[in-house]
Amino acid sequence: MKNIKNTKMELSQETMNVGFIKKVEALSGSSVRRCFQCGKCSAGCPMRSFMDHPPNRIVRLIQLGQWERVLAGRSIWYCASCETCSTRCPNKVDLAAIMDALRKLSWDADGPSKESYVQLANKLFINNIKQYGRQYEMRLAAVFNVKSGQFLKDLMLGPKLLSKGKLKMFHSKNKNLAEIEKIFNRIEEMRKNGDAP
Amino acid sequence: MSRIGVFICHCGENISRTVDVEQVAQAARQMTGVAYACDYKYMCSDPGQTLLKKAVAEHKLEGIVVAACSPRMHEKTFRNAAQAAGLNPFLCEMANIREHCSWVHDDRAEATTKATDIVRMLVERVRKNKKLVPITVPVTKRALVIGGGIAGIQAALDIADCGHQVVLVEREPSIGGHMAMLSETFPTLDCSQCIMTPRMVDVINHPRITLHTYSEIECVDGYIGNFSITIKKKARSVDMAKCTGCGVCMEKCPQKKIPNEFDKNLGFRPAIYVPFPQAVPNTPVIDREHCTKFINGKCGVCQKVCGPGAVDYEQQDQLVVEQVGAIVVATGFKLYDITEKPKGSAIKGYGEFGHGKIPDVIDGLTFERLASASGPTGGKIVRPSDGKEPKQVVFVQCVGSRAREKGISYCSKVCCMYTAKHTMLYKHKVHDGQAYVFFMDARTPGKSYDEFWRRAIEEEEAVYVRGMVSRVYQKGDKVVVMGSDIAVGVQVEIEADLVVLATAIQPRDGADTLAQKLGISYDKYNFYSEAHAKLRPVECATAGIYLAGACQGPKDIPDTVAQASAAAAKVMTLFSKDQLEREPIVARVNEKFCVGCLACKKVCAYGAVEEKEIRDRQGNLIRVVAYVNPGLCSGCGTCQATCPSKSVELDGYTDEQVMAMLDTL
Repeated sequence: MKNIKNTKMELSQETMNVGFIKKVEALSGSSVRRCFQCGKCSAGCPMRSFMDHPPNRIVRLIQLGQWERVLAGRSIWYCASCETCSTRCPNKVDLAAIMDALRKLSWDADGPSKESYVQLANKLFINNIKQYGRQYEMRLAAVFNVKSGQFLKDLMLGPKLLSKGKLKMFHSKNKNLAEIEKIFNRIEEMRKNGDAP
Repeated sequence: MSRIGVFICHCGENISRTVDVEQVAQAARQMTGVAYACDYKYMCSDPGQTLLKKAVAEHKLEGIVVAACSPRMHEKTFRNAAQAAGLNPFLCEMANIREHCSWVHDDRAEATTKATDIVRMLVERVRKNKKLVPITVPVTKRALVIGGGIAGIQAALDIADCGHQVVLVEREPSIGGHMAMLSETFPTLDCSQCIMTPRMVDVINHPRITLHTYSEIECVDGYIGNFSITIKKKARSVDMAKCTGCGVCMEKCPQKKIPNEFDKNLGFRPAIYVPFPQAVPNTPVIDREHCTKFINGKCGVCQKVCGPGAVDYEQQDQLVVEQVGAIVVATGFKLYDITEKPKGSAIKGYGEFGHGKIPDVIDGLTFERLASASGPTGGKIVRPSDGKEPKQVVFVQCVGSRAREKGISYCSKVCCMYTAKHTMLYKHKVHDGQAYVFFMDARTPGKSYDEFWRRAIEEEEAVYVRGMVSRVYQKGDKVVVMGSDIAVGVQVEIEADLVVLATAIQPRDGADTLAQKLGISYDKYNFYSEAHAKLRPVECATAGIYLAGACQGPKDIPDTVAQASAAAAKVMTLFSKDQLEREPIVARVNEKFCVGCLACKKVCAYGAVEEKEIRDRQGNLIRVVAYVNPGLCSGCGTCQATCPSKSVELDGYTDEQVMAMLDTL
């Protein structure tokens, strides 16, 4: 992934993706333009020290339609959704909702964050639910480690979890798998009709 | 005089923190001539003043020394109190033991000794004080207003509406000033012409306003209540009495390609012209520099076509003398020209912004003319270079302002708001265009101002980028702006079609020369100085002269109008009395000893010294002596120090008093 964090921004009507701004505003139900960069969100954010872009800069980048820079960063994945920012914002910018929207858009976008481990984990998690009607942790961990290339990640935790019964060797399927499938189908249908994001 | 009361103030803790006030009072009681001494926490308060009045009655005091703050602060307060107690107010003096002692010293013992010395000196002075009577001077109830912009117009109308005569002097051929050039005004976006031109008509129709356009102040004599003003009326070459304003001369003038200053050189005008169609007075003026008739004598078309025969090539500059009692200075501002470094100025240029070199880099006032319905393009926003509609416009704030190293450290105050307005006007006219603004801070204090700025961003979708521009350069037919977004922390580059620079506000050219004629003070930028930043914001330190508008400092229209009305109110306060009272601290000549060398006349900064002839009963001239006009004398004491025969004395500061003060130390 190319590091675009510090490269020059060339602003024009073509490079500022107004569609992205509109999408974020629609998804989050919060105005982005209202933000005047006071920095209060960043001042109180408990996860700020883990983020590459502080929360206020995330809003600033959305204002300028710089979707690639936003989604390439890790900030949206470190947001804990604690909503401190939204509660304290003097301009009623719901940053927690905006972060949600960004995570959603990151999923859809052909953006750089497709490569993010969070995305991968989310995807495997959902696939497991689809397949088994419930979570199958052993498979989740194994596939994640293989796909992310970190084969030995958290390996030593395995036996401990197994001995305490927190991790099962073999999967067990949900009895009402058909019902679960219905849920997924319904969401797909709603998406097609434009009722769900 | 031997019964003096000394009143020592603690000034809360301002004085008593450093000075042992009780010890000073104790010492004062031992001084020659002191009948009573005391100290109190706030001498200027009502109980403090009552204390003073009671002491005058109880101890039959004949003189008062108040040891407290500077006489500039409370001399008047205590003299009024002394008067209320039945004393001549000029027998009350102040010993400044705050600014001159407690505030500037740390050592308590030494400060106390110094305070005692100051009190002792003042006691000596009061012992030799004489009863003085205020000087009265008559007031001419007629005002002069210099400058015919919105400030001058407002002040002139207010004074005239109150029933007084007003003389309004404007340098340009028409009144209206900068406000007549603006398109729409923040924060309501009402059309500037629509609110300005009716006021201009009010001025010319007002029975009590005498209007001198195309005129300048030549010389100012006199003093508060009695100024004599010489006005130079420049030759218009058109007889104002005969001209009907039909405009045929302008149509027929063969010279049509002279850049129009009113349109910031975007359009053209003939050699005989009115600056703009709504000009007041609507009488043309011949620009002799560009007129063929005046260059080589070969035209004369305007004279031939003029029906009433108003064109007069022989007209000369004329001097008019007006007598007035008060002056309102409202000379306004100019925009800082960043094209090149002005000669002899501390201001450094801005080569990096390409202003003057790149045709599509313009200043805020030029954009106003582009956006104005009465402007050279009829309100269509186009690029000066090729006349195309710009799709990307970059505005840069704080150009010239707030740049200490470049020579101007102040904020020009109006640019944040007018730039926000410009982005809106642009969006309203070019719907598919995008406005960008580079700014350091958005300074929008004022009623509905911040909301206006937010509206530019949130509703009109202007993109504001916090950070200054470092360079502007031409690339093909685009103008590239290099800046930085400090919220993101990266460089920003925009290929713009048009760049508008919000350049700094400066006082008008010649502001310093006019100040010297008027005898008023100005700061290092040539803005006129008010007497007190908070309590006397519209008055000059020179009595009888008032300030209105941007000549005193950058100001927007609402503030300008408010200050102009305030200045008018001050003039009306002055005119409410038939006689003026002045402090009688003036120099007096002892005619017996004066040898008539008139050395005092040479040094007097106020022109107060006159020659006086002494004649015998038959009318034969005996000798000439100096005479000090008490109406003009400001009591500076220069003549007293200069006089070789010691025949000039300043009341309240006689040689005898000053020597006694020094002797007592």
